[in-house]
Amino acid sequence: MEEFVQQLTNGLAVGSIYALIALGYTMVYGVLKLINFAHGDLFTLGAYLGLTLLTSFSLQDKMGPLAAVGLLAIMVMGLVALIGALLDRVAYKPLRDSPRLSAVVSALGASIFLQNTVMLIYGARFRVYPQDILPRTVIDFFGMPIPLMRILILLVSLAMMVALYTFIQKTRIGTAIRAAAIDQGAARLMGINVDRVILIVFMVGPALGGAAGLMVGLYYGQINFTMGWVYGLKAFTAAILGGIGNIPGAMLGGLLLGVMEALGAAYISIAWKDAIAFMVLILILIVRPKGILGERVAEKI
Amino acid sequence: MNKILGVLLALSIASAAFAADTVRIGLMAPLTGPWASEGQEMKQIVELLADQLNAKGGTQFEIVAEDDAGDPRTASLAAQRLSTKNVVAVVGTYGSSITEASQSIYDESEIIQIATGSTAVRLTEKGLNFFFRTCPRDDEQGRVAAKTIMSNGWKKVAILHDNTSYAKGLAEEAEGLLKKEGVEVVFFDALTPGERDYAAIITKIKSAGPDGVFFTGYYPEAGLILRQKMDMGWNVPFLGGDATNNPDLVKIAGEKAAEGYMFLSPPVPQDLTTEAATSFINAYKAKYNSEPGSIWAVLAGDAFLVAAEGVNGAGSTDTTKVAEYLKAGMKDFPALTGSINFDNKGDRIGDLYKVYKVDGAGKFIMQ
Repeated sequence: MEEFVQQLTNGLAVGSIYALIALGYTMVYGVLKLINFAHGDLFTLGAYLGLTLLTSFSLQDKMGPLAAVGLLAIMVMGLVALIGALLDRVAYKPLRDSPRLSAVVSALGASIFLQNTVMLIYGARFRVYPQDILPRTVIDFFGMPIPLMRILILLVSLAMMVALYTFIQKTRIGTAIRAAAIDQGAARLMGINVDRVILIVFMVGPALGGAAGLMVGLYYGQINFTMGWVYGLKAFTAAILGGIGNIPGAMLGGLLLGVMEALGAAYISIAWKDAIAFMVLILILIVRPKGILGERVAEKI
Repeated sequence: MNKILGVLLALSIASAAFAADTVRIGLMAPLTGPWASEGQEMKQIVELLADQLNAKGGTQFEIVAEDDAGDPRTASLAAQRLSTKNVVAVVGTYGSSITEASQSIYDESEIIQIATGSTAVRLTEKGLNFFFRTCPRDDEQGRVAAKTIMSNGWKKVAILHDNTSYAKGLAEEAEGLLKKEGVEVVFFDALTPGERDYAAIITKIKSAGPDGVFFTGYYPEAGLILRQKMDMGWNVPFLGGDATNNPDLVKIAGEKAAEGYMFLSPPVPQDLTTEAATSFINAYKAKYNSEPGSIWAVLAGDAFLVAAEGVNGAGSTDTTKVAEYLKAGMKDFPALTGSINFDNKGDRIGDLYKVYKVDGAGKFIMQ
């Protein structure tokens, strides 16, 4: 039982990172029916930008760890959002009326471009965040040692997801995004500026991805230019698992994938952990081809 | 003095065979690609040693370098090119699968090949007459690992690998030896390299309750595991294989989490104590303004020295005679990493592996 709870917290922490990244995939897909393969690299970029900002301004010395991390998160999310918007302008907007396959190829190209840019700027070696920024406290949870940071990662991710959900459901812009996701033409006729909606989607998704990158950097410490590949793949899987195009689906899919991996590793075999997770994905897709929440929610995104 | 006499004697006999010609030695190394830093250092070291040897007079050696890019296909092309360039011996290469792709090409052309970082056991089990290596074999490391684990007094051991053929081979070797000695292996499994979160694995190992963990994979994962293990408040001693011998391990884990971590490795260049090594390292510093970082590149230097000794000792560039001399005639040749003898398969005889421990400041200390 003790091991089960520990593995559950392990899985939830990993899963919440997957979920944050998955949101970027699912939002873009919801509005544009495009898989943004460069999204994993925006996540990488978030991790690297966080490292640069943190070390070049030595923020934690000036304002204490908590405020430093907060400010850092805002800066990283802002910058990655700008890069996301730029990516849309350069790589996707010119292809808006082309066949969908052209945009997918463009997305793959953008991914390779971003990955190699990061490698050329920062080098191919592993980069490491400073060690002493966050408290490495272990809290005692009914006699089980659980690192405080894991719980914080989960809580911060959940808070961001709730904020996003509220933004999509309750605000005017959110309504416009949902409208554009259902039918772009009709939304345009209703006076919605669809181009602006797409721009916002390309800023919000990458901002969350960048925040995930920063969290990975801060907690795990070690980053390199290919890290976006594994995380991107897992997050994409999570988005499919939950039903791509569906925001609560991406959250559920991410957390579920993380927990499946952890429990698969714990009770079956570590080496087969990915195989188990993907097997479950296949089984779920056989039963529910549109993902867990894909059909139940009538409107996309 | 004896050695100089020997060289002179060898020369006088040999001079008829190769007159004023220089002897060409090939170098096949990953000059580009993922192991480029390794390959560049191999080239620097071999060229420096060739210059030193040539300056002493005697047989003159010329290095012909080819890039294998750390890739088996490129390596087989490089081997074909080298085998047409009239080389007596080839130094290289680093990765086992890369060496394997070139082995039969050199063997058919009857060129001596001396591998430098290729530790896979099978390479010398094929009965190739012209193949040697200056690095130890993987099963050698397994033996040292088992010895270290037993001398640490661990009764229950967890073994973790990463499913690469190298790490899995080492893990299985150690597992077999430990079971024979009555040490209980309570955990044996593989992680997926390239991930960030290994908490699930650590939790599982912890529930198996080992006295110590032997990890045979590479340093990025080792660093993360050490760090996450500390985060969970679990203090179990860790022993790693030679693929964790990299200063970045301490950077990734942090000094506090890395302290006390042990790993097996051939000595790092700075820990080499032979006279040849210290004078060589000084010469290297003088020429390239940095210290050699990789023991595998130093082993390439040894491979070159052995090749030169083979030609001088056999007094001929006939590769059959050179191979014969290296296996039977050469005794305790003083190379950079200690004295070198070859057995009949072309494997180096003797213990090269040492146990290292990370101290509180993140330094690797030879035990």
